[in-house]
Amino acid sequence: MSDSTFEPKIIGFFCNWCTYAGADLAGVSRLQYPSNIRVIRVMCSGTVSPHHVLRAFQKGADGVLIGGCHIGDCHYLRGNYMTVKRMRFLQDLLKFTGFEPGRLHLEWISAAEGPKFAQTVRDFTEKIKKIGPSRLIAAVKAA
Amino acid sequence: MDKLRAKVRSLLTEGKVAGYLGYLIKDGHPLPHFFTKENLAEVDQAMVAPDSARYPLDKLLIALAGRYPEAIFAIQVRGCDERGLNELYKWGQLDPEKVVPVGVACTQNQADYCECPGPWASVVDYGEKCLPVAKSRRVERIDTLAEQDAFQEWLAAFKRCIKCYGCRDVCPMCFCKECSLEHEDLMSTGQLPPDTIFQLVRAIHMAGRCIDCGLCEETCPADIPLRVLYKKANALVKDLFDYDVGSPGAGPSPWKVLGEDATLEAKPM
Ligand code: SF4
Ligand code: SF4
Ligand code: SF4
Ligand code: FES
Repeated sequence: MSDSTFEPKIIGFFCNWCTYAGADLAGVSRLQYPSNIRVIRVMCSGTVSPHHVLRAFQKGADGVLIGGCHIGDCHYLRGNYMTVKRMRFLQDLLKFTGFEPGRLHLEWISAAEGPKFAQTVRDFTEKIKKIGPSRLIAAVKAA
Repeated sequence: MDKLRAKVRSLLTEGKVAGYLGYLIKDGHPLPHFFTKENLAEVDQAMVAPDSARYPLDKLLIALAGRYPEAIFAIQVRGCDERGLNELYKWGQLDPEKVVPVGVACTQNQADYCECPGPWASVVDYGEKCLPVAKSRRVERIDTLAEQDAFQEWLAAFKRCIKCYGCRDVCPMCFCKECSLEHEDLMSTGQLPPDTIFQLVRAIHMAGRCIDCGLCEETCPADIPLRVLYKKANALVKDLFDYDVGSPGAGPSPWKVLGEDATLEAKPM
């Protein structure tokens, strides 16, 4: 399915306090990362419902990247405990139903980790390019 | 049936409960019925619904308890119904002080059909305990499929959905006042088949809450193997959080509390 001209759509849900600030830092540091990512800023990664992730896939996302503060650094103390519970569960459910769990990734990126932010976006975009266009979208289009 | 009827009769006559939710044959069909002291003679006809005739009595109890919050009610429960009560207590939908279970043990046939690991209630007023079924072959079969094949199989099933909401409406564990499946910003409206994610969204909501009664699957006019999906969702909740749905000792639901520690790690890319 790999296609060199394939430019995936990637949705990023980033928490305001860490990963979004990390993205800012990557920006002001002029670090390069692919423009495939569309960012949605949330107050805490723990506010991202699995339903939001599924909705993104339904609406055409080829990949979804969730970014939050490192464990112990969440600005609401333990909000990201819920993030990891939800996303691990959702990845396993996607696997069972054949909905390509690799399209969903969770990464802890702090406000100081501009380079890690840029690298994560690069790696994830590369990974999604390799996986190819979303199976779900192909099915929707065929219907 | 004598033992069960005697128990119900004494609960009613001694005024321990304001009524009993059970079953009665009406026009040849076993139907849910509310028994009271005023119509005590009906208790002679109280029965246990045969294997295939089941209704979400827990759901009826939620409605009753909502109308009469002070009253105590008795209710006929199978293993799954009782798991439902335990879960509903946790979610604040029922008060354990206000519920008296009248317990039933299911037949081996029913347990095999349900692939049920707990086919009896904690008190047994009717029936004999049979052998529980520890594993779901239906889930195991899907587990062995290649991802692409699993996808094609689920996709074919999901496409048949006519969005009747029967699975939700019959479910004793669906008690939300507002339903995500009808949220205009999160689910497309006015089209069939519904969004491909429709059943997955419901599976997320049922994970750790579904008591595996199987009524959704029996209700579904499109024969979607919903029960397999929710059985797996519960198995994942067990694997990830060691949570046993409907067990009185299981502690709070992993979705209700953040937890004292982050016990899971994010998967590497
Ligand atoms: S799931 Fe089936 S076998 Fe188990 S208690 Fe309920 S009706 Fe009986
Ligand atoms: S088996 Fe279906 S109807 Fe029964 S609790 Fe689970 S989701 Fe609800
Ligand atoms: S009962 Fe079946 S057809 Fe009806 S909404 Fe649920 S899954 Fe779809
Ligand atoms: S505030 Fe960043 S994950 Fe909670």
